[in-house]
Amino acid sequence: MSAMRLRRFGTFAGGIVLPDSKDATLGAPIVPIGPLTRLRVPLAPTEAEPARPLVEPGQAVSHGQRIAQASDARQVDVFAPLAGRVAGIGECLLPGPEGTWRSSPAIELVELDSVGRIEELSCHYTWQSADEYSIRLRIAEGGVCTCRPPVSALGGWIERALAASVETLIADITENTPFVTADHRLLAERGSEVIRGLAILARAVGARNVMLAVDHRRTGAYRAAVGPARLYGIEPIALPHKYPIGAEAMIVKVLTRREIPPGGTAMDVGVAVTDAATCWLTYRWVACGEPPTARVVTLSGPALHRPGNYLVPFGAEIEELLALAGLDAQAWGVCGPAMSGQLATAGAVTGPGGNAVLGLHPQQAGPPTQCIRCGWCSENCPARLNVAALNDDFELNRPTQAARRGVLACVGCGICSYLCPARLPLSRRVALLKRAIRQGQSRSRDARDAAQKH
Amino acid sequence: MHETPHRNTETKITAAAPAGMFGPFLRAPEASRDIFRVIFVAACGPAVAGVVFFGWRALVICALSVLGCVATESLYYRVTRTPALLGRSHAALTGLLLALTLPPFVPWYVPLAAAVFAILVGKALFGGVGHFLWQPALVGRLAATVLFAPPLLARPLLDRPAWPVLAQNRILLGDVTRVDRSARYRGWRGTVARSPADAVARPRPRAFLRQLSLPGAKPPDSIATVLRHMPPAWDLICGAHGGGIGETSTIVIIVAGLYLACRNYVHAYLPGMIILAAAVTVAVAPVRSADGQAWQWLPVAAEGLDVGFVYVAYHLTCGELMLAAFFLATEMTSRPVTLPAQVVFGAICGAGAILLRLYLAFPIPAYAAVLMANTLTPLLDSAVRPRVLGRRRWQRTTDTKHQA
Repeated sequence: MSAMRLRRFGTFAGGIVLPDSKDATLGAPIVPIGPLTRLRVPLAPTEAEPARPLVEPGQAVSHGQRIAQASDARQVDVFAPLAGRVAGIGECLLPGPEGTWRSSPAIELVELDSVGRIEELSCHYTWQSADEYSIRLRIAEGGVCTCRPPVSALGGWIERALAASVETLIADITENTPFVTADHRLLAERGSEVIRGLAILARAVGARNVMLAVDHRRTGAYRAAVGPARLYGIEPIALPHKYPIGAEAMIVKVLTRREIPPGGTAMDVGVAVTDAATCWLTYRWVACGEPPTARVVTLSGPALHRPGNYLVPFGAEIEELLALAGLDAQAWGVCGPAMSGQLATAGAVTGPGGNAVLGLHPQQAGPPTQCIRCGWCSENCPARLNVAALNDDFELNRPTQAARRGVLACVGCGICSYLCPARLPLSRRVALLKRAIRQGQSRSRDARDAAQKH
Repeated sequence: MHETPHRNTETKITAAAPAGMFGPFLRAPEASRDIFRVIFVAACGPAVAGVVFFGWRALVICALSVLGCVATESLYYRVTRTPALLGRSHAALTGLLLALTLPPFVPWYVPLAAAVFAILVGKALFGGVGHFLWQPALVGRLAATVLFAPPLLARPLLDRPAWPVLAQNRILLGDVTRVDRSARYRGWRGTVARSPADAVARPRPRAFLRQLSLPGAKPPDSIATVLRHMPPAWDLICGAHGGGIGETSTIVIIVAGLYLACRNYVHAYLPGMIILAAAVTVAVAPVRSADGQAWQWLPVAAEGLDVGFVYVAYHLTCGELMLAAFFLATEMTSRPVTLPAQVVFGAICGAGAILLRLYLAFPIPAYAAVLMANTLTPLLDSAVRPRVLGRRRWQRTTDTKHQA
């Protein structure tokens, strides 16, 4: 009998099967990225107040040295990803919510060491026998972020999970967007570390059910992870590869049959979702004491000459990464997955939340035309929204009407834009509607609070 | 639950959406024009069947209708200086669908006039593809029905007591207006036209079935006697009976429609629901027979199920219902967008088509039913919708409480 006995689960309404396009990097082992000339290490990896720098311009720093201290519980400490010299404090751009760029102060490092291989570290903290409270403390003092967008401090994430009395923890390693293989390689090569990190997180949030959700086509690559998973009571589950099963709302619905209310998060229904990168960084920090300074990033796409899965330090500039991987002239550099990422701009850097940098050929499609009501957007919408009607609401500037239709249930998968025969930027428009509704809600909340004060 | 007056706030959300900057950076290959072109090719199937059974006149009418629609749309774009974003693909499709609904014997000016109405009144007046309320080809067909009929003309031009079909030895090349009035034929097989006639004529099969229910008609003895007057089932399936150019050949329409369903341009639920609703309505709706005046419900069981099922099958195949179900009701703009709304829409179309056919002496019952259902499309779209993820079925509130 095979060691890999994976429970198979159901599926969900809507969704499509995307082209996989992962052949270039699926078997490529994780290698360190080539020599970098400059890092701009973001001082605000999460959206909270930036961390306070602890280093002066001109100072030499060593690998893993603490270079900034969080002044806010929602922010994390920042460590030097590579040995080098501080050139000064500058700015960098990180992906923000709904396709925006968020500016963050950054420590510029120059005269860098080259990126080393992943070291084999020995575990010197017996987390198995430690109590939950000290595990939480140890996580909170490190600089670990959740690597699944939206990026937040892991300590705060655990506190929210405790407040919501989360009973199920899901590690989502389905990774079913085209090109991206970072989590796949991490689980295939560093499976036991990822599993131990997941077990640590499960202890920290007090989850009783822990699930490891993988793509049913790739279970063969994860044999090494199954043994430790059974050891720690983690249930490996093979899921179908219909996109967007990796979206939080979908994976929670498929695995727990609970539906996240529109505008809510998985924690509202007592589920926490994490990914392989977070588990790995958690294990390395909690058990081995290695501060989080780098993550695995897939560089891929038809317009890149040297695709691969690279260990990339935080703060590496996207433009430099694309140049190292050999981007075609006239091609697009995209930060994040091809379905929900955004076009790279000057000053953009890698942070904890970026699992892919892609080089894609520009689309040859003409300008958007009018909606012909084919209905493919709503037919394939995993949230069962009438996207054509939401497009009308966008064009007529009616966010209230859109909210009544349930636009906040949108999972941001991008299927509507992908399929639209009129080439309308539907997912972008829906994201703008969501933003307008959230702004309106916070405005009216502010007004209500002000009225209560007086 | 509070509502925010978004309408007049200073942030206008429509301002900021430059294309190409945001994901997804992958696109499915099919564009709107491709959809219309593929539907056009599929609609050529019934058109070819029409040319086979109604000769070169059918081809001329198809060409005139398509050219009329394309020319009218080009003129409209020129006069109003509207950019033609979708090209002429939709106009050509509308023209072909319009031709499929027209009888094969009409003079040359009928398709042209109908095409002008279809494009100007049916489409351009509403703002083009994506905005019109009624299927434009059917608007053109309705206009032709009204314009070329008694109040304006001495006798109806598009509706006749006896409808021609080419005889078996004159298919494809015969002239459908040269009718052999003396010839009597029961089935199409074996009909041989003598010179100078090319075609044989007989009332449409629909007219026999209508004797059972139309108010003015003399009630027949039984459903079985009516069915004995009908042409053989094979004639109805392959299309060798009187009717519009693309209406008659049931098998070709179904094959072309299934092709569209496989390409995902038509939800199989919509034509399926139309046919199902029509079958149920035929089976239930009362008819008069036997003793004359009494209305009898459930005609499917009135004279035994064998007669009843043949009666239902004849109703489904004898007229324009199949063309309406697969090609006209499925027009993307004028049908509802979501699947549950489409199912309700199909039920209205199917039941309406049969009720109009049975109880009103209206020449185009199925088309009128589709037009009526089109009118209800906005209502159906807002009333019947799928359950949004995370909401209860009939919950209609805004989702504000989860935002705190």
